[in-house]
Amino acid sequence: MIFSSITFLFFFLPIVLAIYYIVPKKIKNFILLVASLFFYFYSEPVYVLLMIFSIISTYIFGLLIDKYKKYSKVFLIISICISVGILVYFKYTNFIIQNINLWLKNKIDFINVILPIGISFYTFQMISYNIDVYRGQAKVQKNILKLAMYISLFPQLIAGPIVRYTTIEGQLENRTHTLEKFSNGVKRFVIGLGKKVLIANVLGELASKFLSSNDVSVLFFWLYGISIMLQIYFDFSGYSDMAIGLGKMFGFEFLENFNYPYIATTITDFWRRWHISLSSWFRDYIYIPLGGNRVSKLKWIRNILLVWMLTGLWHGASWNFVIWGLYFGIILLFEKIFLNKFLEKVPNILKRVYVLVIVMLSFIIFNGEGIEQIMRNNEGLICIGEIPLISTESLYYLKSYCIALLIGIIGSTPLSKNIANSRKFNRIANFLEPVFLIIILVVSTSYIIDGSFNPFLYFRF
Amino acid sequence: MKGNKAKDAIVTIAFLIILFSVFIINIVVKDKTISASERRRLASFPKITKSEVMTGKLSEKFEKYFSDQFVGRDFFRSLKTVWNFNVFRQKDNNELFVKDNSIYKMEYKLKEKNIKKSAEKINEIYNKYLKNMKVYYSIIPDKNYYLEKDDHLKMDYEKIKDIMSQNLSNIKYIDIWDELDLNDYYRTDLHWKQEKLDDVVMCIKENMNLENTDFAKYDVKDKGEFYGAYYGQLGMKVKPDNLYILTNEELEKCVTYNFETNQIGKVYQTPRTSDKYDIYLSGAVPLLRIENPNSKSNKELILFRDSFGSSLAPLLLDSYSKITLVDIRYMSSKNLDQYIEFNGQDVLFLYSSLVLNQNILR
Repeated sequence: MIFSSITFLFFFLPIVLAIYYIVPKKIKNFILLVASLFFYFYSEPVYVLLMIFSIISTYIFGLLIDKYKKYSKVFLIISICISVGILVYFKYTNFIIQNINLWLKNKIDFINVILPIGISFYTFQMISYNIDVYRGQAKVQKNILKLAMYISLFPQLIAGPIVRYTTIEGQLENRTHTLEKFSNGVKRFVIGLGKKVLIANVLGELASKFLSSNDVSVLFFWLYGISIMLQIYFDFSGYSDMAIGLGKMFGFEFLENFNYPYIATTITDFWRRWHISLSSWFRDYIYIPLGGNRVSKLKWIRNILLVWMLTGLWHGASWNFVIWGLYFGIILLFEKIFLNKFLEKVPNILKRVYVLVIVMLSFIIFNGEGIEQIMRNNEGLICIGEIPLISTESLYYLKSYCIALLIGIIGSTPLSKNIANSRKFNRIANFLEPVFLIIILVVSTSYIIDGSFNPFLYFRF
Repeated sequence: MKGNKAKDAIVTIAFLIILFSVFIINIVVKDKTISASERRRLASFPKITKSEVMTGKLSEKFEKYFSDQFVGRDFFRSLKTVWNFNVFRQKDNNELFVKDNSIYKMEYKLKEKNIKKSAEKINEIYNKYLKNMKVYYSIIPDKNYYLEKDDHLKMDYEKIKDIMSQNLSNIKYIDIWDELDLNDYYRTDLHWKQEKLDDVVMCIKENMNLENTDFAKYDVKDKGEFYGAYYGQLGMKVKPDNLYILTNEELEKCVTYNFETNQIGKVYQTPRTSDKYDIYLSGAVPLLRIENPNSKSNKELILFRDSFGSSLAPLLLDSYSKITLVDIRYMSSKNLDQYIEFNGQDVLFLYSSLVLNQNILR
C-alpha cells in the first residue's frame, strides 16, 4: 500500500486514525503495531513473516547484547550477520550470480525471489538498534511489541526515513498528542502528497516520454536530466514529508530527511541536505567505525570510497548504483582534497550551478538502464553540433511541461517558505494555508483517481 | 497564538471531515456496474481468496475497485483535466486536447514497422484470395491531419501514404484526403460523420467506376446528441454534435447477416452498447453481410474495413446487391475462404491511419 493511493488515503488512514484516537492510551501502541503489520501484509503477504522473524531476532540479540556484556560483540556480529544476510539474500544474490556468471562456463541459475518492499529501510533500523544497544547509546527494549512497533511503524516502513531507535525511544513509552502537532502533521502529509502526485509524478511522465521516444535533440536530453532530478527529489522528499506528517498525527516526531538539497553550494553540503537519515547512518555505523578521517590518507580514501560504494549499492543491486555511489565518493574526495579551497573563492551562484550539474549527471546514472544508455543520456547534454539543438517533439514537451518544471524548480528552493514566513505575508499565508491544503488534497485525489502516472520508485531499495 | 490555534483547528477539522466523509460515502453508496462516460465496465468488489491474498493480487484489485467505484469519479477526472490544462497549462491530458470545442487525440508516433506490417497483411490477403479481381485501397486520415496552425505532435502523414504505396503497388489507391475537412469529423469522437461523406463517396465511386449517388435521395434522421469516445476519455465538458443517419426506403429494406451470431438485422439498429456510433451496422462485427434486395445491380463488394467503414458502407449499397464487411482486427484472415466465395467481386480495403499505425490486422 502506498500513501498516494485511494486505499490508503480514504480507507486505511481514517480507520486507523479513528481506532487509534478512540482506544485508551495503554493500547495505542498495540493498535499502531497491528495497523503497521496489516499495512505491510497488504502489499507483502508472505514477507510480513520475514519481517516478524527479523524483529524477533533483533529483539533477542538486543537482550543478549545487553545482558551478556562479555560476549556482546559476538552477539552484535551475529545479529548484524543475520540482518545483512537476509538483505543480501533477497536483494543481491541474483546480482552476485549475474556477475559470477560472467566468468563461468557453467552458469549458476538465478534464484527466484522478489525483493521485499522496504527491506533496506527496516534492516538498517534493526542494525542501528542493536549497535546503539551495544554502544550503550540506547536502552535495550524489553517489550517486544514496542520494538516491533518501532521497526514496522507504517509511516516510515516502505520509503523511510530511516528512523533511529534513539530518536523515538522515549516516544514509544510516552508521547503527546496535541492539536498543533496533528495539524502540523496534516500540513506535512498533504504537502508531501502534493509533492509526490502533482510534481514528481507529472515530471516523471515527462522523463518517461523521453525514454520511450526516439527523438534526439540537446533540448530533450536536458529536459530529461532536469525532470528526473526534480522527480526523484519531489518523490523522495514527498514520501519523507508524508512519513513525518503521519508520524506527527500519531504523536511521533521524526527527524528531517531533506533540507533543500538543490540550494547546496558543494557536494559535501548537498549530502548534508539529501536523504539525511541514510547519509548519517552510513557516517555513524560504517565510516566512523572504519576510522573516518582519523587514519592515514590512504585508509581515509578507502573509507570514503567504500562507504559511497555501499551507499550506491543500498539503492539497488545494479552496477549503475555502484557507479553512482563511487561518482559521489570521488567528487567528495576531490572537494575535501582541493576543490573546496577553490570553491570558497567562487560566487555562490556558480557553486550552485556546479552542484546542480553534478547532481543532474548523477541522476542520469541513477536512472539509467545499462552503461550504454547512461553514456548516451549524459553525452546528449553536450552534443551541440552533432545532434539538433531543438526538435518539434522536445519543444512541444518543453511548452507542455514548463509550468510543472517551474513549480518544481521554485518548490525545491526555500523561496515559498521564506515568503510565507515573512512578516509581510505571514497573516495572508496563515489565512490561505487551510484553503491551499484542501485544494492540494482534492486535486491530488483527482490525479490518483484518474489513474495518472504514479510509480513507486523504491521497489529496488 | 490565538490565530495559530484557530488555523490548527480548521486544518485538522477540514482534513478529518474530508477523510471520514469520503470514507463513509464510499461505504454507503451502492456500486455501479458501468461507467457511461468512460464506456466501460467498472471493477466490482474483488473475491477474497487465499491465493489472491497471498500473491498480493488482491491489493491490486482493491486499488482498482476503490478507484473505479470512488463516489464522484467523473467529477475528479474532470477536475484533473481542468487542472492539467488551466493550472499546469499542459498541452494535452493523457494525449487528448481540446481545440475549437473539438477533442483530438495525439497519434503522433508514426510506427513505420506497423504501417509496413499492415501493408504486408493486405498484400498477403491479395495474393491468397484476390488475384485477378478489382481491388482498391484507401486510407482515412485521423482528424488531426486537418488541424492547421497547431503545434500538437502529428504523424508524418505523407510517410504513411509513401509506405503504403511502395508496398501495395499492385492495388489501386483511392485518395480521399482532399474530400474531407475538420467539420466532417465528430467533435468528441475519432470517427467521421456519415452525413458529410458525400464527397468521399463520390470520389470512391468515381475511382471504382460506379454510378454516382445523389445524396438528396437520403432522408437525414437526427438521433440526438452524440458523446464520442474522446469525451469519456478526456473527462471534460465539450459541446457534443448530434448524430445523424442517412436513410431511405431502399436502405431500410436491406438485411444484414452477422456471421458470428447468425443474427439477421438492419443497417441501422439501436445500439446495445453506450456507443451511439454503433447504430451503424451494429458496431464492431468481425464478418457481416448486407443484402440489398432492391439493387439494380448484380455487383458485389467485399469491404475490408475498420469502424469508419460502418457508416460508409450503407452509402455504397445503391451500387451493390451485396456487401460483405470483413474486420480483420477481430478475425483472422487465414481462413476467409471458408466464409466468403471470392469470385470477381469488387474489393476495397478502407482503413484509418490510426488502425494502420497499430499492427492489429490479423
